[in-house]
Amino acid sequence: MFGNKTIERIEKMLDSAMDGTFSENDYDESKLSRLESKWKRYLHSSQLAKNQLDETKSNLETLIADISHQTKTPMANLKLYSELLGERMNNMPDVTDEDRKLLSQINAQMEKMDFLIMSLTKMSRLESNIIEVKPVNADVYSFVREITDSMQGSANKNGITLLFDDKDSDMSDNANKALFDTKWTREALSNIIDNAIKYSPEKSTITVSIIPYEMYVAISVRDEGMGIEEGEVARIFDRFYRSDENSDAEGVGLGLYLAREILKRENGYIKVKSQKNKGSEFILYLWRG
Amino acid sequence: MILQAMDLKKYYGEGEAQVKALDGVSLSVYRGEFVSIVGTSGSGKSTLLHMLGGLDNPTSGRIIIDDKDISELKGDALCIFRRRKIGFVFQSFNLVPSLKVYDNIILPLELDGCKVDKDYIGSVVASLGIAGKLDTYPGKLSGGQQQRVAIARALATKPAILLADEPTGNLDSKTSQDVLGLLKTTGQKFKQTIVMITHDEEIAQMADRIVRIEDGRIV
Repeated sequence: MFGNKTIERIEKMLDSAMDGTFSENDYDESKLSRLESKWKRYLHSSQLAKNQLDETKSNLETLIADISHQTKTPMANLKLYSELLGERMNNMPDVTDEDRKLLSQINAQMEKMDFLIMSLTKMSRLESNIIEVKPVNADVYSFVREITDSMQGSANKNGITLLFDDKDSDMSDNANKALFDTKWTREALSNIIDNAIKYSPEKSTITVSIIPYEMYVAISVRDEGMGIEEGEVARIFDRFYRSDENSDAEGVGLGLYLAREILKRENGYIKVKSQKNKGSEFILYLWRG
Repeated sequence: MILQAMDLKKYYGEGEAQVKALDGVSLSVYRGEFVSIVGTSGSGKSTLLHMLGGLDNPTSGRIIIDDKDISELKGDALCIFRRRKIGFVFQSFNLVPSLKVYDNIILPLELDGCKVDKDYIGSVVASLGIAGKLDTYPGKLSGGQQQRVAIARALATKPAILLADEPTGNLDSKTSQDVLGLLKTTGQKFKQTIVMITHDEEIAQMADRIVRIEDGRIV
């Protein structure tokens, strides 16, 4: 029905459309020329739709960024005023315990709000690629050592032992080298350790260790906490997901979502193993590259 | 939706001796999703995968892949459809021993007479960490590396869906983690839909969604 030449020409049209370089060849009375015009029109309208979608998305991202930015000053002011109020209350003779309780409630809610805004800012920056995740070749061992050291304080405060178990670590030259963005990965790992601290009972231990693979270096964070219901495991990485069981613990449900996004952007991934009432293990796989 | 299976049944034999390998399975898979199908041996999961891949015909029911009802396709048409739209990764790798790694990867493209998109293939092999092995024969590679070549081959045609049948069945647990990690991350990177069959719970956990099958039915 068609000559080989025509088919070849059409295939070329499609190829150039796919890499975005299509332009009409020549205008004449042939059917092929008519097809080219139609094809051009179709590409144009689908491009238009895509542009509109992109624009809506970027508007949304700007909005989130604006909200998080514009709320910073009022938040700081609120904190300041509540501190001042607290100091003044100390000098007032007729302040009741009830009054103090109210003030501390205000402070607790403000902390929560502050944390939420901070997380939203991070998320919007990450999603709109304002801050790119830039993986570099770095040493996982010293990275983990530094983070576990810096989180000792918060663990001890909660009566929890945070242990970097490196007795099985392979210390040979390239065993612990991977491609990751240290700043963002710190965010991911500390979110996960932070969660473990939050949801672990007193006197329990959180064990962090490194497992080298051929393609990945894995960081494992194992706790002795409440564990995760099987049906929930897939959902804990969703944005704003909170388990019904710990809705009273602080947090907004963005930490794990952020962690997963960060790992994804450096070609890694997170896996979780959990047993109800026995504890959970989060494993971060960093790509070696 | 990229794949839809509707009320699939596969019966063998008749009367008393009838075996219901699949007994009314319906399943939907969305574009870009990574789904694992878990079940013990004999649960019907391999039968299901063979049906989804057009390797076997159901007794009744319909399978729609990329808007095409594959039960309408016969013979050569089905074969070509499979080659273009479905990437397979098998437990036993199924690489051609007499072809170098690179030629194994582009084999499905060559069979189709397609021009090889070198940039794309280059980025696939780099993601899978086999860029340095392209000139080698599969026999010289470890099991994990061979499976990574098989994944690259499955991705080469940019198929609508990638079907993996116990992809780590022949690998030790450490290598399995490597291969699955790469399957997951390259799937994400190239927005590839993946359906994986496994009997191993831990391996199944790597997917976005887990479907359980027992006695030929989804539970």
